[in-house]
Amino acid sequence: MKNGKKIFILVETFLGLMVFVLVMFMFLEKNEKKQEKISVIIQNSDDSQWAAFKYGAKMAAADKKTEVFVVSTAGSLSVQEEENLIEREIANGASGIIVEPANGEKTEKMLKEVEKKVPVVLVESLASSDGTETKMPVTGADNYAMGKALAEELLKDCGGNIKGKKIGLVSGEENAEAISERAEGVRAVLEEKQADILWQISDSFAEDKEKNSMEQSEKVDFIMTLDNISLVAAGECSSTNNLHGAVLYGIGHSMEAFYYLDTGEIQCLVVPDEFNRGYQSVAELSDSLRRFMKKPERNTVSYSTVRRETLFSKENQEVLFTMSQ
Amino acid sequence: MKNKYLKSKCGYDMQGENQNTEKSRITERVRSWEKYGGWTNLKPKGIQTTLMGVFSLVSITIMLISGFVMYIWFSTLSREETVQSTQKLMEQTGESLEDYLVSMRQVSDTVYYNIIKESDFSKQKQEIQSRMNLLYEANKDNLRSIAIYNHYGSLLAAEPVASQKEDPDVTQQDWYIQALDEVENMHFSTPHIQNLFDDGTQHYYWVTSLSRMIEITDSGVSNWGVLLVDMDYADISRMMNQINTLNNGEYYYLCDSNGEIIYHPRQIQISNGLSGENSSLAASHKDGVYEDDFKGERRKVIVNTISYTGWKLVGVIPYSAFIHGMIDVRYFIILLMLLTVMVLVALNRVVSARISSPILKLNASVLEYEAGEKPEVYIGGAEEIRYLGYSIQKSYEQIDELMKEIIIEQNERRKSELDALQSQINPHFLYNTLDSITWMIEDGRNDEAAFMISQLAKLFRISLSKGHTVINIRDELQHARSYMNIQKIRYKNAFSVTFDVDDSLYAFCIVKLVLQPILENAINYGINGTDDCGEIKISGKMENGLIILSVTDNGIGMCSEEVSRLLTDEKRVHKHGSGVGLVNVNNRIKIVFGKEYGIVVESEPDEGTTVSICIPAVLYTEENRKALEGGNLHEKENEQKKEPQRE
Repeated sequence: MKNGKKIFILVETFLGLMVFVLVMFMFLEKNEKKQEKISVIIQNSDDSQWAAFKYGAKMAAADKKTEVFVVSTAGSLSVQEEENLIEREIANGASGIIVEPANGEKTEKMLKEVEKKVPVVLVESLASSDGTETKMPVTGADNYAMGKALAEELLKDCGGNIKGKKIGLVSGEENAEAISERAEGVRAVLEEKQADILWQISDSFAEDKEKNSMEQSEKVDFIMTLDNISLVAAGECSSTNNLHGAVLYGIGHSMEAFYYLDTGEIQCLVVPDEFNRGYQSVAELSDSLRRFMKKPERNTVSYSTVRRETLFSKENQEVLFTMSQ
Repeated sequence: MKNKYLKSKCGYDMQGENQNTEKSRITERVRSWEKYGGWTNLKPKGIQTTLMGVFSLVSITIMLISGFVMYIWFSTLSREETVQSTQKLMEQTGESLEDYLVSMRQVSDTVYYNIIKESDFSKQKQEIQSRMNLLYEANKDNLRSIAIYNHYGSLLAAEPVASQKEDPDVTQQDWYIQALDEVENMHFSTPHIQNLFDDGTQHYYWVTSLSRMIEITDSGVSNWGVLLVDMDYADISRMMNQINTLNNGEYYYLCDSNGEIIYHPRQIQISNGLSGENSSLAASHKDGVYEDDFKGERRKVIVNTISYTGWKLVGVIPYSAFIHGMIDVRYFIILLMLLTVMVLVALNRVVSARISSPILKLNASVLEYEAGEKPEVYIGGAEEIRYLGYSIQKSYEQIDELMKEIIIEQNERRKSELDALQSQINPHFLYNTLDSITWMIEDGRNDEAAFMISQLAKLFRISLSKGHTVINIRDELQHARSYMNIQKIRYKNAFSVTFDVDDSLYAFCIVKLVLQPILENAINYGINGTDDCGEIKISGKMENGLIILSVTDNGIGMCSEEVSRLLTDEKRVHKHGSGVGLVNVNNRIKIVFGKEYGIVVESEPDEGTTVSICIPAVLYTEENRKALEGGNLHEKENEQKKEPQRE
């Protein structure tokens, strides 16, 4: 074969290959536009306390061009139920899971198993089997600091002197890591000032047992609630004068909590930045899914202290805005 | 005339030959230079390769330029189109927003001019309430509430009827303050949480407030107050959300005249510091399209002012959005270019082959001709190439004819030269011999005279040899013997002659009468001048395929200068003999056998001289004789020698 013919065939083959590669590239690029899917499993997902969180997650999904799906759940989940839900979501094509860990000893083990399949981000602290906090990635506010901040607000209102004052603590599931940390924070401040924490009650909120417990408990000067549901329940009790004149302080992040603050049932409110919790958890997971070797990391979001006087400040209005979405 | 013509042709040919020799020398030099790495890269390419290369280069360059221009053109067009469509979309949205705001203004106007101005609050409170209710019901899809406050900030009337919050202190709220700041205008606030009523739903509403100062009549006393129309932010949000659906980075936001954000798709991220917006700069712009560089990102910012409010609807198109839209076009252009280049390369090959094919065929014909074949010269292709073919063919035909003429002419010339040389021998010798015979007869030596006549007869018989120029060695030796016999009688046996020739040489060819002039020279110059008895020896032998015939005398010999002049000086004057010199013999041998053959003379003064004839061993046959006489054998040998060199 002549040289000219050889070169001609080579050039044509090369150009043909380039066309093929380009077409393949175009085809692959079209297919690559498929978004990652992140499933969010939170307990009692339709509750208003998750509004800001879900809005944050939605905004992060829009920014990161990721698909976020919030699994609908009613009430609290057992470890087994949560595991089943996670498995179902993975089977449905979830590339990552954001989960509020169920309360239970086997939760961490179960989630670590899940972590082997897909990246997982927790939105609440989780106790490890050895009693310390889990090393799994968690996005949330510093629970201990929030507890301390709440107690310090009480201290401030009492002019720093709460010696002998009777205090009751109300929380959801007591053995939940987040509640424990918050209680620890509160106790650390109050016990130092020799306040008298008469009782700490926790119960299932679905059946209004807590309200009854609070009403039936020994009369205290201050009630401090350590989670949103307890706070709303306590606010409701207060509105019907069933707290026997106890002043209410609490940690909450729902519009109802703000409402009770606005109506004066709650003296002071510590609000974790739920929008950022939702935003950061999705952003973190999305980044880890897109970047090779990037693993989700722990993210701490801020919290703010709201009083009736500052309820309609610009910042707090924005918090309310995220809750109304 | 013909001779003249031939002469001129020969002259031309000789000139051409010189030119060819010069050309071939240059070619040789160039080849040897290239061999050692000279112009290896600049070696001239074939015409098809050159044409194809040039065509491909030109077409690829044109494709690249046109592709680039096409891309620039497309991207500019696409950019303009994107900006235009964004502007259109913004105009539509702006109109929708204006309609919405106008309807809210109309609500405010209706409440003020049709209800408040015409009524006394103390007397017609119920009527005012019911008319406000009617208005609210008619617009409740867009309205959150309508409320009238007096100059103390106390609520006079509100719709829908809801319990007022405990001490909302409206006088400290922005919408109230703004209404009092500019009493003649209506004021649109930025979105905020409505902090006025408690409807028992434990919910807070995000509203935009339209407030204005009003004149209130209460118990016949006129006083000022503030009319508040709270618009549901969800309506504005919905309108903006509808246009914020693009996924390419393009987005729209709404801000007031100070750059305070009313709506932004990333409103909370901006508040939290996760994102940012250059809204204050956009708010300072008039309507139009602007270039913006925000946090290192180049963007097109389109500003559209909403009437009555001073709000700015801002569209932001990052340059990355333009590129995003152009990616497919970019791929398409590259694909188109690649396919076009593929087609062009194939087309170029066909075109260049069509153009170069006749030239290549013509070239092949010329090469074949140069290789010694006689092909039909290719005549085809374009008119010019056909003409070239015709011309070359005609030239070759003329060259062939001229070559034939030259060969014939040369042969004739050689033959005439040979004949002329041979004819130089006879007269003087014949005169001397006949003189000797006469003298012998007069002296009564009839036997000797008869012997001499017989020898002379033999001599002439061989001299004639039927007119052949080439004879066998046997006859040549016989001729030499006869000659020497005659000369011995003439010189009265003053010398002796010895023949020592190998019998095997007798059958080979030799040029007629070459020994005789040498023998004559040996007698005249070698023996004649000496007192001693002269000795002449004729010997013959075969060496390396060559026949060497030598004539050796023991005469006076010559110095080396004289030896060297012997074969070169044609004008040398012969003292004795027939006058046919060695030059003559040498030339004849060379004419017949070739330039490498001829005579070699060796001599030493007082020692004697040896003259050797060196010729190739060619068997004497009729065919070889004719060939030698025609000069063909000599040419054939030359060609056979050249062949290996060519290979």
